[in-house]
Amino acid sequence: MPEHQRRVYNRLAVLRAERGLSRKQLADKLGINYQTIGYIERGDYNPSLELALTIAELFRLPVEAIFGFKPMTPLSEEIFREPPPGIR
Amino acid sequence: MSISISKVEYLPRSRRRLLVTFALTGYPVAVAVLAGLKHTSLNRWLIVAIFLALLLPTLASLCVGYWYARGRIDGRRARLDERDLVLRQQSYALSHRVLAAVLIVAAAITEVYLTSGNTLRLDANTVVPAMLWVIVYIPALPSLMLGWIETDQPAEASQLADA
Repeated sequence: MPEHQRRVYNRLAVLRAERGLSRKQLADKLGINYQTIGYIERGDYNPSLELALTIAELFRLPVEAIFGFKPMTPLSEEIFREPPPGIR
Repeated sequence: MSISISKVEYLPRSRRRLLVTFALTGYPVAVAVLAGLKHTSLNRWLIVAIFLALLLPTLASLCVGYWYARGRIDGRRARLDERDLVLRQQSYALSHRVLAAVLIVAAAITEVYLTSGNTLRLDANTVVPAMLWVIVYIPALPSLMLGWIETDQPAEASQLADA
């Protein structure tokens, strides 16, 4: 990845494992090469906006649930996280 | 360094960079050695053997470099995805920078050589190696640069190749 690019973290590997998809199967659904999935998962390649949105659409999740600038926390932790004080 | 054709695609970057360095430096070194030995009393066939010993591994490295990038640099692979296209663009950009650097260095060396009171005779001995360099390296540079910049393949991809 070029040095001027910001690192984009993702939980693609977790989502893929959750749905029992191999890299090849996911790549075929997205119309890309299976190596590209591996490079995205490893953070070596930042997908285009189009590809990121297509991935989000495929997993039926908002794009920010899959990609972000901060390291991803486990989804279970986010679901069961205590709300900040003052918010019910 | 023995490399099976089917494994070329999965060569680690460190090994690829070594091959690229070898491919780029092998020919100029071989030509320089040939030029240096030509006026010595060494047996002519020995000089040819030394030249070939330097040249053949260079050609092999060039072939590995081409094989690694086959279908991706010339766009002949049926499906180039967005990462392939980005890599191709980066490879061409880096090739241009390398070519520009080589031409600037060559022009500077020639300039220094000529302004130091030397003369340069343009005959087959000087023009042919330069022409061969252009013929061999200009088409090969983007493939070599792709091998240079691409990071190692993710683990699962390599395991697929082993299966």
